[in-house]
Amino acid sequence: MNVIEIKKRVYDRNDEKARVLRDELKAKGTFMMNLMSSPGSGKTTMVMGTINLLKNRCKIGVIEADLDSDVDALTVEKTGVRVIQLHSGGMCHLDAGMAREGLEALLYADLDFAIIENIGNLICPAQYDLGQSVNVMILSVPEGDDKPLKYPAMFEKVDVLLVSKTDTMEVFDFNLDILEKRVRKLNPSICIFPISAKYGDGMDVWCDYLLDAIENWK
Amino acid sequence: MHELGIVLEVVKQVEEIARVNNLAKIDTLVLQIGELSSIVPYYIEELYPIAVEDSFLRDTLLRIETIPGIGECSSCGLSYHVKDSDYKCPDCKGSEWTVITGTEFMIKEILIESSGCQS
Ligand SMILES: [Zn+2]
Repeated sequence: MNVIEIKKRVYDRNDEKARVLRDELKAKGTFMMNLMSSPGSGKTTMVMGTINLLKNRCKIGVIEADLDSDVDALTVEKTGVRVIQLHSGGMCHLDAGMAREGLEALLYADLDFAIIENIGNLICPAQYDLGQSVNVMILSVPEGDDKPLKYPAMFEKVDVLLVSKTDTMEVFDFNLDILEKRVRKLNPSICIFPISAKYGDGMDVWCDYLLDAIENWK
Repeated sequence: MHELGIVLEVVKQVEEIARVNNLAKIDTLVLQIGELSSIVPYYIEELYPIAVEDSFLRDTLLRIETIPGIGECSSCGLSYHVKDSDYKCPDCKGSEWTVITGTEFMIKEILIESSGCQS
């Protein structure tokens, strides 16, 4: 038997594609947000709320890849932003190649801000760099403040954590301080924004952060 | 399913390796999976036969080597096995640590039948 040494990181191929895409996005001044969450985390309301607060300040496009999502392309289209539906063929995650397909279908070159709604689960998407400018994850209060203990990989990889549905905090016995402690242990530099998209709480702080990041990307 | 997408990616990359190196058959594929990589070797083994069914790797055996998750304590510098110690330093009980090994996910090597010459 002959041994052929390969020593190849499985994610390398994707990481390289992502690097190239990120450089292109930077050159064109398009800020890309990779949005990840479990199903039912209030993604729709959050995305719609964010679009409504930002659409007069920058040019936005949305790539909808989550087939289970209730954000359907038509609903988003009504806000006047560009939107496409990306079919991922039953995969559990997007990769940089699929992100590129989505962006190209969206004719992204003149956009300031592209939102990719990744496929709804908390394990796989974290492993794949899409070439995004920022990784954002939504954790809804009903999912519990112990989620970081169960899915550490995801919390390590994201730049921003949105804690959504904060209006239900009391009902679900959710402790924001404990959550923050658990998350910071995994990821000390993460930004955490508590929001209630339903009542608009925290949405302005989150959108100010985004607007800054979008402008700094240029 | 998380692991199925990953196995399919591995199969794709190994097929590519076979093509580039002009290999007619691969006997064994050896993967290295770190304990902190969020990939569960058990599922990889379960899904592997399904993923290779119609591929070049149909008759290729899979072997997985696990790489232990070792962290270095940020307070006292001790290296320890993080899962066995419940993510806390066994010495100073500090809970901050940085990864030394265990996040790997690699195609380590492939074994092929020797073609004539012995080494
Ligand atoms: Zn220590």
